[in-house]
Amino acid sequence: MSALSNTSYFVRTALGSMWRSPFVHVIAVASLALALVGYGVARVASDQLEHLIQSLGSDVELTVYLADDAPADQVEALRLALEQRTHGVAVVVTPAQALGRLAQQLGEDGRALTELTENPLPASLEVKLPAEGRDATALKALAAQTRSLAFVTGVDYGEEALERLSMIAKALRLVGLVVFALVFVTAVIIVSATLQLAIFARREEIEIQKLVGGTDRFVRMPFLIEGLLQGLLAGGGALAAMVGLVRYLESDRGASVAFLRLNGHLAVDWVRLGSEQLGLGLSLGLLGSFVAVRRFLRV
Amino acid sequence: MIQMFHVTKAYPGDPPTLVDINLDIGKAEFVFLTGPSGAGKSTLLKLMFLAERPTRGQILIAGRNIARLRESGIPYLRRNIGVVFQDFKLLPNRTVAENVGFTLDVIGTDRDEVRERSVKMLRRVGLEHKADVSPLKLSGGEQQRVSLCRALVNDPAILLADEPTGNLDPALTVEMMDLLNDVNARGTTVVVATHDASLIGRYQKRTLRLEKGTVTADEKGAKAARLMALDT
Repeated sequence: MSALSNTSYFVRTALGSMWRSPFVHVIAVASLALALVGYGVARVASDQLEHLIQSLGSDVELTVYLADDAPADQVEALRLALEQRTHGVAVVVTPAQALGRLAQQLGEDGRALTELTENPLPASLEVKLPAEGRDATALKALAAQTRSLAFVTGVDYGEEALERLSMIAKALRLVGLVVFALVFVTAVIIVSATLQLAIFARREEIEIQKLVGGTDRFVRMPFLIEGLLQGLLAGGGALAAMVGLVRYLESDRGASVAFLRLNGHLAVDWVRLGSEQLGLGLSLGLLGSFVAVRRFLRV
Repeated sequence: MIQMFHVTKAYPGDPPTLVDINLDIGKAEFVFLTGPSGAGKSTLLKLMFLAERPTRGQILIAGRNIARLRESGIPYLRRNIGVVFQDFKLLPNRTVAENVGFTLDVIGTDRDEVRERSVKMLRRVGLEHKADVSPLKLSGGEQQRVSLCRALVNDPAILLADEPTGNLDPALTVEMMDLLNDVNARGTTVVVATHDASLIGRYQKRTLRLEKGTVTADEKGAKAARLMALDT
């Protein structure tokens, strides 16, 4: 009963404090929400480009050229090994199939190929890679390893394009991290500054609480809850703003970013974004209040 | 209930406020603390409710040596000590009942019970009709009584009052003293710091006289009344 009464008292005190000085709290929540929206936009943009890279790179495959004298059982063993290693699908393309494809691609001009007395194209293994296997570094290592195997005469996987896309993804992740760090520091400063004012405004109350037997925890809890509530409101506000923003971009008015949409939608994982914004808001609010309480609350 | 052994309190750069104080206040005793301004009465009270720590000496409150008490233990000891402050220390942004209930809030009392006990306490001092107004709308005497209610609402074992009748007219002074006597009769140890000679003369309780930080007299009954003659 006592713990329940205390919790109810802490929440009432925190809400009362916010109610008594609404301007300061609105500024704090709005700033925190703005920072979280900044994080959310960076997150959605990064996710969106990641999706684009994946859809652009859906044809990414590794082609392993085989020696003419490669025995069928060795080719099959290599095919299985590549499938196991990449979790992708590997198929054998015979020289005749390769020539047929080339002729098809060349169309009319392909007829010249029939003049050839000998098929110059080698047999190959084509490995279609799953999305998670399209990492440039891993592919480079795989290609190098595969090149050194017996009966392998060459490996091709569109290195340049893939490396460039991966660099873009890396840069985006870095931008996301920088935005996150800025949000982190700003939010903690804002929340702790607000609570410093709240602590100053309630110094008499704190003194009396101590004199009538309030423990340090009792004195500190309302401020921590105040920080939590600020974080929760900011997280909720930021999430609502993100929903509005994404709906706008998906509507006709957001035509300028139409190239980013997949099947007419922006690919947003709302559960993840929602948990991140609320969780981040709560954590930053709590951390900010914790800093303020540690620095400014002398109990 | 309150024991002090060779207690000295000095603030850096100033001569000691209290020097070698020895006293023993028993359970359910009523003690007046008197002496000229600056004699150390308020500091002695502060030592009793642990707002200050002694520079030297030992203090036992309800059998507990406060020198050995951890900081985290102080709040729990304070819950047994009600204090009426000279400047009331009421919160202007809370109602009268909320101010009284503050003492119960810190120990996690249920909200309805806090309200019920606060109003009951206010009724004892004739202020229940002011339960929902701001303390700013009360006279000095009324604020004094609210402060007393806050000190008593938790039924403390010790009540310390710093000039509790300082702002009251003669009729209200009698009322306040009756209340303190009543609390004392129920077993609470009461220590009242006062300048009011008539109080000491009328009630003839044990009286400790402080001068320049030392206890110069400790008398009961009629002799106590004579102590005050030294001031007048």
